Amino acid sequence: MNAVTDEDKLDRDETRKVIRRSWQFAKPYHRTMRTAFLLVTIWTATTLAGPVLVSVGIDSGISQHNGRVLDLAVAGYIVVAASAYLIARLQFVYINRAGEGFLRDLRVRVFDHLQRQSLAFFDRERTGVLVSRMTADIESMGELIQFGLLQFVSAGLLVVMTLALMFVLSWELTLLALVVFPVIVVASVRFQRESNRVYLTVRERVGNNLSSLQEGISGVRVIQAFAREDEQSRRFARTNSALFDSHMDSIRISMWYFGLVEFCGIVATAAMVGVGGLLVHRGSVTLGVVTAFVLLLSSLFEPVQQLSQLYNTVQSAGAALRKLYGILDTVPDVDESPDAVDLPAAGEVIVDDVGFEYVPGRPVLANVTLTVVAGERLALVGPTGAGKSTLAKLMARLYDPSQGTVSFAGVDLRDATLRSLRERVVVVPQEGFLFSGTIRDNLRIAKPAADDEEITRSLEAIGVLDHFLAFAEGLDTEVRERGSRLSAGERQLVSLARAALVDPAVLVLDEATSNLDPGTEAEVEHALESLMQGRTVIVVAHRLSTVRRADRIAVVDSGGLAEIGNHDELVALGGRYAALSAAWERNQVAS
Amino acid sequence: MQQPATERTPWSLLTGLLAEQKRGLIAGAVVGVLWAAAKVSIPRLIRNAIDRGIKGSEPLLKWSLIIGGVGVLAGIFTGWRRWLAFRESRTTERRLRERLFNHIMALHVGYHDHAQTGQLMSRASSDLQQLQAFVVMIPLTISNLFQLVAILILLLNSDPLLAVIALAPLPFVNVSARRFSHKIHPAVMAVQARQAALATVVEESVSGVRVVKGFGAQGVQAGKLGREADAICEVSLRAARIRARFLPAIDILPSLGLIAVLGIGGHRVLNGEMTIGQLIEFNSSVLLLIWPMRNIGMTLATGQRAAVALQRVQQVLSTVADVADPADPVSLPTEPPSGGALGALSLRNVRFGYDPARPVLDGFDVTIEPGTSVAIVGATGSGKSTITRLLLRFYDVQAGSIELDGCDLRSLRLHDLRRAVGVVFEDTLLFHDTVAANIAFADPDASGARIETAARLAGAHDFIDELPDGYATMLGERGFSLSGGQRQRIAIARAILADPRVLILDDATSAVDPSKEHEIRVAMATVMRNRTTIVIAHRPGTIALADMVLLLADGCVAAQGTHSELLATNADYREVLASLAARDEAVPQAELIAVKIPREVFGDDIELEETLHEPIGGE
Repeated sequence: MNAVTDEDKLDRDETRKVIRRSWQFAKPYHRTMRTAFLLVTIWTATTLAGPVLVSVGIDSGISQHNGRVLDLAVAGYIVVAASAYLIARLQFVYINRAGEGFLRDLRVRVFDHLQRQSLAFFDRERTGVLVSRMTADIESMGELIQFGLLQFVSAGLLVVMTLALMFVLSWELTLLALVVFPVIVVASVRFQRESNRVYLTVRERVGNNLSSLQEGISGVRVIQAFAREDEQSRRFARTNSALFDSHMDSIRISMWYFGLVEFCGIVATAAMVGVGGLLVHRGSVTLGVVTAFVLLLSSLFEPVQQLSQLYNTVQSAGAALRKLYGILDTVPDVDESPDAVDLPAAGEVIVDDVGFEYVPGRPVLANVTLTVVAGERLALVGPTGAGKSTLAKLMARLYDPSQGTVSFAGVDLRDATLRSLRERVVVVPQEGFLFSGTIRDNLRIAKPAADDEEITRSLEAIGVLDHFLAFAEGLDTEVRERGSRLSAGERQLVSLARAALVDPAVLVLDEATSNLDPGTEAEVEHALESLMQGRTVIVVAHRLSTVRRADRIAVVDSGGLAEIGNHDELVALGGRYAALSAAWERNQVAS
Repeated sequence: MQQPATERTPWSLLTGLLAEQKRGLIAGAVVGVLWAAAKVSIPRLIRNAIDRGIKGSEPLLKWSLIIGGVGVLAGIFTGWRRWLAFRESRTTERRLRERLFNHIMALHVGYHDHAQTGQLMSRASSDLQQLQAFVVMIPLTISNLFQLVAILILLLNSDPLLAVIALAPLPFVNVSARRFSHKIHPAVMAVQARQAALATVVEESVSGVRVVKGFGAQGVQAGKLGREADAICEVSLRAARIRARFLPAIDILPSLGLIAVLGIGGHRVLNGEMTIGQLIEFNSSVLLLIWPMRNIGMTLATGQRAAVALQRVQQVLSTVADVADPADPVSLPTEPPSGGALGALSLRNVRFGYDPARPVLDGFDVTIEPGTSVAIVGATGSGKSTITRLLLRFYDVQAGSIELDGCDLRSLRLHDLRRAVGVVFEDTLLFHDTVAANIAFADPDASGARIETAARLAGAHDFIDELPDGYATMLGERGFSLSGGQRQRIAIARAILADPRVLILDDATSAVDPSKEHEIRVAMATVMRNRTTIVIAHRPGTIALADMVLLLADGCVAAQGTHSELLATNADYREVLASLAARDEAVPQAELIAVKIPREVFGDDIELEETLHEPIGGE
């Protein structure tokens, strides 16, 4: 059931654009496609050969008492049927080969393009929407290729060819067929529109009913606790009946349509027999031609019905393509500059008069200037939303500053090659994000070329090798989707080992706010400490213990740098940090 | 735990349902047979028109009009049979879905602990759709079969040999349609499985984009995606090859019958053994049978799928609720005993474990005087929330008993018990409805004034007032999203409105930020006055509100007394409170706002973020 909303409908101009672009995109398959269309045309012609041969058999064979002509017609029919079968098989293969190839290319291209987008793009777009572009939208194209494209093309061809053949056989009877034909066309177009309208309602009500169902199931404890089962059942019955009603609406529409089509088909046959008979009496057409017309009526009417039913599939595929091309047209905003240079091995990180805004006109950071010397450990503290995480991200060029520059060893990060940047500066997020695959696969994300020994070394460097070797399958343990088989602490260990594998000069850490599982907390602490040894560290700190271990502390507040200095200096200053530290001291005493 | 109610088979479930719709189904079959009769008559009428009208001397117009008349009937019956068939199948679907929902609502919480929401959802959606697809075929197949038999009889009477030859390819249409359905099903499933695998790669790459970009691992992900895209291409082409093998064959097979009619029949006409009208009758009859043959093949395939679906549905329906109304329920006393109040609870030597071999509560024994409040304190996992669940009779105790106002919970009607015991759960669930309806959950007819009073008591009125539509704002999925603390306050209002004789606050303020909890505390004290209240909390300020505190450890009451007594005398108590306070540090920081928190009797709710805004040392 394919329903198309108004915003999914393409106008003539957009349709032309989508088709032109798809044709260009399908360039590698042009030959296959041409062959497929040729095959479809031939196959369509063979469906018309049957009625013609029957008519020849009757007129030249039976009516002329000529057994040989009859046999020839039969033999011709057999040849046509056999070749129709072979051609039909071939066209399936060709059209799918081109179609599936096209889809594969589209998937790869759209995904590559998505991956080139900046983080700002991913902040803007919702995950669900992006995933559905790559899945639902491309699959609706697939549906068209598997079920629709062939039929759509051949149905169109069949109508034209049948009308042409009819004219050749008898113009009088063709005019008769053309009396009924518009009724079918109009009915089919109206049916398509009406059922699309009803399907949209059905779809909406299916959704409502499912949420009402889900609400009941997931809320069953609250419902039972308040003894509200009866009321909830009544609510569900309402959405369920609403769904039933819209199903009935759609049946009512199809009831009229299919009844009318059936009626038209038989009435047209009656007219053909009546008028055709009269013409036979007059001698202007033969009985064979009348028979051919009776048989050809279905070749004229059925494709119209098919076209109207396929219309939605074609439309939603068009809408899907438009959205996908929309993604391909988005220009990524963080990209490598054409004359990028590799970053030197070591140096200072300098933030110079940096400002940043996610939404233009609403700065998150303004006029921040600070220098982190090689090997220094800087803690960023401040209230939620003050901009400390953003500052950290700018220092790793996850975003580009809106104003000012961030440089490493004297090179503006915007002028650095992305590869060298990722080798020098590594970000460790709050929670270890794992991909499905083995632990080893997850480490290789950081450095695809790393061999097994390098991986082992990186785990050893932060002292967690034994932890993972203790697993039954060691580093080849499948972590499942999102790493669900590991604990939060273990995921963090993998995340730290990734950083160790890259062996960067600068480490940007976002400290976890919540406590990890007690079992691995100490291990994570230890691994983190080993990882930080000998590197420049910028840490977004949430715990005072982390802050105390930093060489310097920067207090970020309302988009600017409020205080910077070491612990003793800041305590002596008696400002915000001093208050924070005092509160912490008190807590220590209390517990 | 889950035994079937009766030994009913899935099919008897279906026949039971269909028996309720006997009239509609019979009507569908009758109309279907009339439709088939009209359709079957047409080839014969065409034959007569040709032989008697065109070749013979009878008036042609008569035959033409008769065919047109049959066309009217066929048109009406086509629509009608369709309407009846779908109406009945959708009715079956609707009724069964409702029954399933009601049954799920009545099943004990223990069942829901093990059942997955997604699975129950698919019982009530996709499984019922499979069933609907089969039920719709029942009347349609009856008329198709009738059509088949009628044509067979007509043709056999007319020319047995030609009839056999002309119709011989048609059973193969049926066989092919069935085999195709069998073969294509796993192929389509394989395509879907690969599509799901690709979706996982995309989903992970998008959600993990910071990691991917942070390490410049785009190439790795692109490689994974490329492999999945290739795999989809491969399995899709495999499915296409199956279609290529069967679909053209199904299309072409009937032509063989038509060829036989032309060849053999043509020669019979030449020899004068047959009229040309008869020849054309044969031709049209073969064409007429193509769809019924395909349909019967499809019906068999849908029938098999429906059987599996039906079995799964039956499995849910035959699960009996473990916790149900007693056969002989007693009524809760409505008048307080002389000189006392309602809401006396006594838990006697209670033992319970989700796994009976490992009890969570064992020898738990406490009496709560009506109108008093009790705080239950215990380490994480000590069974505090289990007590809530037992008091609501989500589960039955495995030993001992629980009595409310002198009645064993198991002797009460569930409805009565749960109206008498109100609860605020830690994880609040709000329904897709207005704020007002969510608060008036226990009593949908509650007046606006009552709802507002409840909201004020819960400290929710102010923020509700600021919502876009105030009390009429839609909440829940697809509705306005509230913060965790706001949701909890709505849930507290919901429990207040229910006005239960026993109120349980199960960590009800855990997501309320500490500054606001203070406000609610005042309100809670009002609600708790003269009402039996059980408070499960971890913030000392809230615990101190209760008249008595129970320390829960090892499944039973380890210590009992007022908050300050326990604090002064019990080291375990202090330790548990300290560990709970540590847990509180993990409260999402977004909830915290820059307000100085009043120091509590014990502990310190001061958070790093707040002090930064409110320097104690002065600037």
